[in-house]
Amino acid sequence: MNSNFQSLLYDAEERYLKSGEIDALKSYTTSLSQRLETYEILRDKEIAIFQPIANQLSASFQGQQPDLERSLRNWLAVLRYCAIAMLQNNFEFLERRLLEWLTDIVRVHQVQAIDSDLYNVLQKQISSMLTAKQYSLLQPFLAQAAARLVPDVATLSK
Amino acid sequence: MIAIGDLLTDQPVLGNYFAPDAYLTGDFESGLIENRRGDRLLALPETLIQGIYAGLDQELGSASGIVLFNCGRWWGKNFYARFAEEISEYYHKSLAEMEMVELIQCLKQCWKTHGWGTFNLELDYYQQGFLVVQNYNSPFAEAAPSGDRPVCFLEAGILSAFFSQLTGKQLHCVQTSCESLGADCNYFILGLAERLKAVEGWLSENQDHQTIIERLKVSKAAH
Repeated sequence: MNSNFQSLLYDAEERYLKSGEIDALKSYTTSLSQRLETYEILRDKEIAIFQPIANQLSASFQGQQPDLERSLRNWLAVLRYCAIAMLQNNFEFLERRLLEWLTDIVRVHQVQAIDSDLYNVLQKQISSMLTAKQYSLLQPFLAQAAARLVPDVATLSK
Repeated sequence: MIAIGDLLTDQPVLGNYFAPDAYLTGDFESGLIENRRGDRLLALPETLIQGIYAGLDQELGSASGIVLFNCGRWWGKNFYARFAEEISEYYHKSLAEMEMVELIQCLKQCWKTHGWGTFNLELDYYQQGFLVVQNYNSPFAEAAPSGDRPVCFLEAGILSAFFSQLTGKQLHCVQTSCESLGADCNYFILGLAERLKAVEGWLSENQDHQTIIERLKVSKAAH
């Protein structure tokens, strides 16, 4: 659960929640059906999103198939974790469960060029498959992942 | 040609097994704290750690460090076995099949989630035959009585046993800087016991970590 809500629920043991606090809960619960829809699209279109990326990058990075496969596996996981973090609207989940873990591993492999291109194409692929509203729910989590995994690209796209 | 479908049918990339919110759970009905596999965990009160230091010091005096080091070695041996079992089971590969960086990440996260501080392994002196571990916010340094020498004997013992099992070589471990003495972090040097012999003397001369590691490098060159 989103840690802000968790702490709201703790506060609610001492007192009734204030209107502003209820509004935050309302805004999350009303967005939940859209979050679920977005999650389902990402789940169902996982291959459709990534196969064109694999094809495009295979051409650009010939002779680097093992590195490319590793990066694709990593970003399949990144999108899966972004999707579940988006569902919960929980940035800490993404940080603790994946980014804190993956960032050093990615850095050691020194595949910045592949990952940067991959992230750029991934953004385009996803935004073409989601509505603007759905993309806006996911985008902050993608940006959070990019800031850790491809910091150069993340800085440029700010 | 890379087929994404094939990548997905292989073992997927999994995240941080030791993420605190996933790793620490509880069977609160029966009063147990458990890890995500259901193994029992125990929270140690700070005063108990202080009591262990004080009791050992009273009974054994300067020998208490050796006792704590040996306790750490026992702990480390079991810790290694449990750690290896847990991560192999979760990531579906043996320690030998894991990349070094993945293994170190696991150890760092495991260390942190258990509340033993933040851990970092430096491989800069690997070619000279030494590993250097940095640990910040050690609960064992914090609870230790003030003295004039590093006091994290338990951790030194754990590290010695853990890396001995990991590398298949009998490695000793010496602490060269300690938070209990006002240092920023705790430094530990791992290496063969005979190569680390001189460190005890340098510590009594109050040499700092950097000087000690530089001297060790030279000792290798003279070897």
